[in-house]
Amino acid sequence: MNRSLESPPQAFSTDPWKTRIDRAFARALLIPLAVSIGLLALLLGDTVYRSFSVQVVRADEGPGKTYPFGLSANEILRQELLARGYTEEEISSSLQDPTERRVLLLQNRVELMWNTQDGPFRYVVTGLRDERVEDFSLAEGLRRWNELKANLGEGERLVLNPWLDQSFLTRPPSRSPLTAGIGVAIWGTAWVLSLALLIAIPVGVGTAILLEEYLREGTLNRILEVNLRNLAGVPSIVYGLLGLALFVREFGLGPSILAAALTLGLLGIPVIVVTSREALRAVPESLRQAAFALGATRRQVVFRVVVPAALPGMVTGVILSAARLIGEAAPPLLVGAAAYVPFFPNGPMSEYTVVPVQIYLWVSMNIPEFSRVAAAGILVMLAMLSGLYLMALYLRNRFRREW
Amino acid sequence: MEILKQRPSRNPKEVLTFVLLVSLSSVTLLTTLGVILSLVGDVVQFFRRVPLLEFLLAPEWTPLFAEPRYGIAPLIAGTFLVTAIALLVAIPLGLSLAIYLAEYASGSTRPRIKGTLELFEGIPTVVFGYFALLFVTPLLQWAIPDLNIFNPLSAGLVMGFAIIPYVSNVAADAMESVPRSIREAAYALGARPYEVALRVVFPAAISGIIAAIILATSRAIGETMIVAIAAGQRPTLTLDPRETIATMTSYIVQAATGDQPTGSTAFYALFAVGFTLFLLTLLLNILAQWVVERYRERYE
Repeated sequence: MNRSLESPPQAFSTDPWKTRIDRAFARALLIPLAVSIGLLALLLGDTVYRSFSVQVVRADEGPGKTYPFGLSANEILRQELLARGYTEEEISSSLQDPTERRVLLLQNRVELMWNTQDGPFRYVVTGLRDERVEDFSLAEGLRRWNELKANLGEGERLVLNPWLDQSFLTRPPSRSPLTAGIGVAIWGTAWVLSLALLIAIPVGVGTAILLEEYLREGTLNRILEVNLRNLAGVPSIVYGLLGLALFVREFGLGPSILAAALTLGLLGIPVIVVTSREALRAVPESLRQAAFALGATRRQVVFRVVVPAALPGMVTGVILSAARLIGEAAPPLLVGAAAYVPFFPNGPMSEYTVVPVQIYLWVSMNIPEFSRVAAAGILVMLAMLSGLYLMALYLRNRFRREW
Repeated sequence: MEILKQRPSRNPKEVLTFVLLVSLSSVTLLTTLGVILSLVGDVVQFFRRVPLLEFLLAPEWTPLFAEPRYGIAPLIAGTFLVTAIALLVAIPLGLSLAIYLAEYASGSTRPRIKGTLELFEGIPTVVFGYFALLFVTPLLQWAIPDLNIFNPLSAGLVMGFAIIPYVSNVAADAMESVPRSIREAAYALGARPYEVALRVVFPAAISGIIAAIILATSRAIGETMIVAIAAGQRPTLTLDPRETIATMTSYIVQAATGDQPTGSTAFYALFAVGFTLFLLTLLLNILAQWVVERYRERYE
């Protein structure tokens, strides 16, 4: 550690070449950092850029109109259906019946487009069977905007589509990129993650307490440590195989949320153990000794003094491991998240999909529009992760104690 | 503290707490056991149908053909290729970052650099896969015209960046634990900072640095989503980075998402590949620990 040598000392020799080499070396060492940050910026920029596109869409049965900004969703739907030839009565009856209204809204989505051939910020109604005629990248689409607008056919509309919009967050997946959403996957992730943490937290924290506060140097201690170190190095896909063989087949859970949660729970344990141990180790010995001196038993010392003092660090660790579990795609893929799931999960035994798996499936379809859907999905996942990281950062700073 | 730990208690509540903690932590042992047992059962099934020699020596991996061949060589070659490309990126970049962190970074820039690296580590690999396929591959195709859409080159390059933190964190820890007295001795002899870093600290920390590289190799071998997305899923026995290949991990993903009836040889092949992967990464991890123990320079 050279903390006291903040700036490396001036050398005694004055060979000018060595001075130059020295300076160049220090700068060259930072190149990888610059390259990595640049790559990160490129990745983010490319994802954001790809999540917008200019499209020509042919309405399957609708009139291909756009609607002014400020109308209510019901009003837009009413006008759209009127234009399709439905009568007033049919429309108002189906809008009043909650079930029919839900189906209607699922099949015909009112979306705010940033720009259309009729002007900026207009609503369009996107039906399930609407067809995309052409898809242009942002730069090309905007450059050729007027040309495209002039060549629109009957019932076609030109839109600047932000793929990541409010309805993308709540929609179920779809075989058409226009109407595909990430809602089911977000719910699946929430279910799987909370059940997985329910397993990983007690086991991880309990193991950390045992190792730090109870066990002396000895056989059990060594076995647990070696085992944990090796578990941390096992690729996540092997956990997926374990889940497939054990939970899906042996326990007969099938491709369910519970099977995925058990698998991810096991995957999360080593991380939680490591971070919890660090938090426990940061609690000074004097605190323990003071508590023992007051006549506290070991259980009282551990659970009333040490664990409360280490809690902020532990919570931060749990949040960080949750962030890691959210991004895991391989294990859920193996325990059955692959299928196309049109329904929101309603319990631990229901079929499911999670956000990274949904993104993988969209990317691997190898269709340009689905790569735009995938970009929107990635932005959602990165937003979830940054939320968790900010929370961890806040907790770390807010509750940090100097002993 | 060791002294305070040495009084076993007879109080039932104390004993109960201890038993509870031990049973919780036994889950970690059961996990290892579960991984091994669940894989071994299916691996045995596999080798009842396919001779070990074919698995090791046959040059083709075609479980879904009418006349299936089960030679792991193409998958190993694919894994090796992607890993080698990733390490070519990660070792120089990661090690220079580690040197900077340990020798040059001041007290305030160190946590910032480490924070950036953590950020890199936190990005889900499916995002890197997307980036490799849709951004890096078109870029590379512009430079290398006969590059396949799915190729190990772009997957390996992007994976190299993804594993930089694994190299730099462990290597920086190793270099930071080299005692200051050695550095100061070198400075006193008139050495320049770069000479101290390269000729004194680097050799002194070599065991930790090698361990860092081995651990990163193990990560690269087990990395799944980047290769599954960007490197393709066609097992080919080649070392040409322009060809579409399959790695062990990408084959597992492909097989698990396809429909293979439970109990077919192709289904058990999944576990045979998984077990090979497990053994390989486990061996590398043990090797890394052994290197650290065996070649650590001790300064007492």
